Amino acid sequence: MRFVQLLLAVLAGASFAATANVPPVAAAPAGRAAHGMAAAGPAAAPKANRSTADHSKFKELRQSFKSGPEVTKACLSCHTEAAKQVHKTKHWTWEWVNPENNQKLGKKHIVNNFCTATASNEKFCNACHAGYGWEDDKFDFTSETNVDCLVCHDTTGSYKKLPGLAGHPTYKDIEYPPKSGKIVKAVDLPKVAQNVGRTSRATCGACHFYGGGGDAVKHGDLDSSLKNPARYLDVHMDAKGLNFTCATCHATQGHDIPGSRYTPTGKAEDAAHMRGKENKGNAASCQACHGSAPHKATDRLNSHTGKIACQTCHIPQFARAQATKMSWDWSTAGKLTPDGKRMQIKDASGHHDRYDSNKGDFTYESDVVPEYAWVNGKVKYTLLGDPVNTQGVTRINEYGGSPTDGASRIWPLKVFRGKQPYDLETRSLLVPHTAVGYGEKDDSGFWANYKWDAALKAGAEAAGRPFGGKFDFVSTEMSWPITHMVAPKADALTCTQCHSKSGRLQGIKGVYMPRRDANGILDLIGWLAVLGTFVGVLIHGGLRVYLGRKG
Amino acid sequence: MLRIVASFTAGIAFAAVLTWNLMGGLMFHEHPSPFGVEETVARIQQNIVAAGNGWSLSGLRNPAAAVKADGGNALPVMMVEACSTKYSGPILNDDSVRFLSILMPCKISVYKKNDGKTYIGAMNAGLLGPMFGSLVGDIMGKVATDQAKFIIMDPSKPTPQIIYPKATGGGGGGGGGSGC
Repeated sequence: MRFVQLLLAVLAGASFAATANVPPVAAAPAGRAAHGMAAAGPAAAPKANRSTADHSKFKELRQSFKSGPEVTKACLSCHTEAAKQVHKTKHWTWEWVNPENNQKLGKKHIVNNFCTATASNEKFCNACHAGYGWEDDKFDFTSETNVDCLVCHDTTGSYKKLPGLAGHPTYKDIEYPPKSGKIVKAVDLPKVAQNVGRTSRATCGACHFYGGGGDAVKHGDLDSSLKNPARYLDVHMDAKGLNFTCATCHATQGHDIPGSRYTPTGKAEDAAHMRGKENKGNAASCQACHGSAPHKATDRLNSHTGKIACQTCHIPQFARAQATKMSWDWSTAGKLTPDGKRMQIKDASGHHDRYDSNKGDFTYESDVVPEYAWVNGKVKYTLLGDPVNTQGVTRINEYGGSPTDGASRIWPLKVFRGKQPYDLETRSLLVPHTAVGYGEKDDSGFWANYKWDAALKAGAEAAGRPFGGKFDFVSTEMSWPITHMVAPKADALTCTQCHSKSGRLQGIKGVYMPRRDANGILDLIGWLAVLGTFVGVLIHGGLRVYLGRKG
Repeated sequence: MLRIVASFTAGIAFAAVLTWNLMGGLMFHEHPSPFGVEETVARIQQNIVAAGNGWSLSGLRNPAAAVKADGGNALPVMMVEACSTKYSGPILNDDSVRFLSILMPCKISVYKKNDGKTYIGAMNAGLLGPMFGSLVGDIMGKVATDQAKFIIMDPSKPTPQIIYPKATGGGGGGGGGSGC
């Protein structure tokens, strides 16, 4: 009795001690902003300016600019090749042809299961295009002054491109979102132009943290918490530590930025890159700095690196600072209040919508345990016109990979699940026309009138696809390799988190894992040996007793 | 005779080892939840508020947040704290068992494991109570009955929202005014 009481007291005391002095609840998402609106300025702690040029002293930039293209023209008067370089990048073209299968990818062509596609929605989506004025298929991709230098090189944190303005910032004070009563001030172009500098987590994040229509929606490992991250969230970007910017890893030459979801590196080169020496490998891989044997020479872990991506162990969970969207069901969109108004219903956390008339049902999750798969870097997309699987799940993108191709590693993935419209006649995905330009009236936009027929017809026309008039919704999945939010090494996965029957890699096939896998014949032999030993002991003992009595 | 004593001793030793190994599992129980951590917390809170018998929420703790604040990572853990003065009062008024205040308020833990699923953990009040006499045994039996209702996850009910504590002092529990 005393013992039990003592034990209980110790247990309870330990429990109390472990939870004392702890903040009450999970931190709320920091500074969630509207679509595509980066809320903060440069994330990094102030550093000494190492630039050899003070742009505020350049007479070319001491003008009263009226528009973004005017600023670009001034930039190009010195940086004569910059626009030509940008023109060659995916940030400009939003297009990339996969040499493996000739699929045309890039935001211009793919359809995802978030906001679906850009066709017919250009004025809204193209707030994240590194250019000015792309509002339909007539955009001039050869124009150098249409390149937006400021969106990547702003250091003031005041340059914002609002959805609905076709890639322009606002040049006058406007009410945004419309009818919200909130005023967004006109951008101070001379100030921004005179304060250009290197890219930062904030400038890259202005788009990449807000992909899919909001903060933390799309990627799971990229969100606004990385503007100023703590060590637990990312050891490399830790604002008080190594303080990496995006470009520290995505080392850029001539505006060509390595690393892409369309061309992921399944199995990076084995040796660390020598900085300054030409190397055609992916500079944004872990191996580019750490090599392929990053653990102690005697460490068993090095034998894992040929089959397991670094990210699998070193990013044990993603969305660790704020929840990421995990599913999106478009089929329920369009429900309105009895008086015909848009509904937005919060989820259990109170921080996110679980239903929005504009978009349908969502689920969010924080500290997500990834799913895992073999990835060799090859990817096949289900594009507009491709058949969907109406009886099951259509994979929007499917990564190649196998344990035997010599090019794959086991990668962590965010698998985003949804339901989206498809054409009952062509049995292929459809693009809804959702958003309209700022201040415009367009009855075919779904967010204006909640009529699927009109929205899908307008979307199909803009995408150059047929629309038979009848549609339904199909279940889809899209996978996103997880590669940011690298945890401190002490938080890497332990052996048993994979090496167990119910471990994280229980679904991975084609590789033998001790403690997870068993060979039936070997097990049978082992148990027979145990049984034989037991029987032998019994016989031996029995004989000794029997013969002893017999004398 | 020696054989009997030896067998008896061996039996006791075997029973002691067995009890020692099973004790942890008996004192606490764990149930999978069909919902995520936050929704599970919100539903438990809703059940507590609706339970009657003087139950009220006394706090919501997040031990994983402390680990993150210290530079590390931990899967989500949230502890819902609830108290009923109807049950706590008699125990707190009895000197012989007042030390059990260390178990107050009643805690239900909601956490995610490495399989990505959400679980609910709670103390087995029904088993522990009788160890401390009839008064505590009787009260803890009633607590156990109510506790079983707290963790009922009914998908047919709409998703409630988490009730965040109003106050954050005293280690973050937040005062619920329940007297516990």
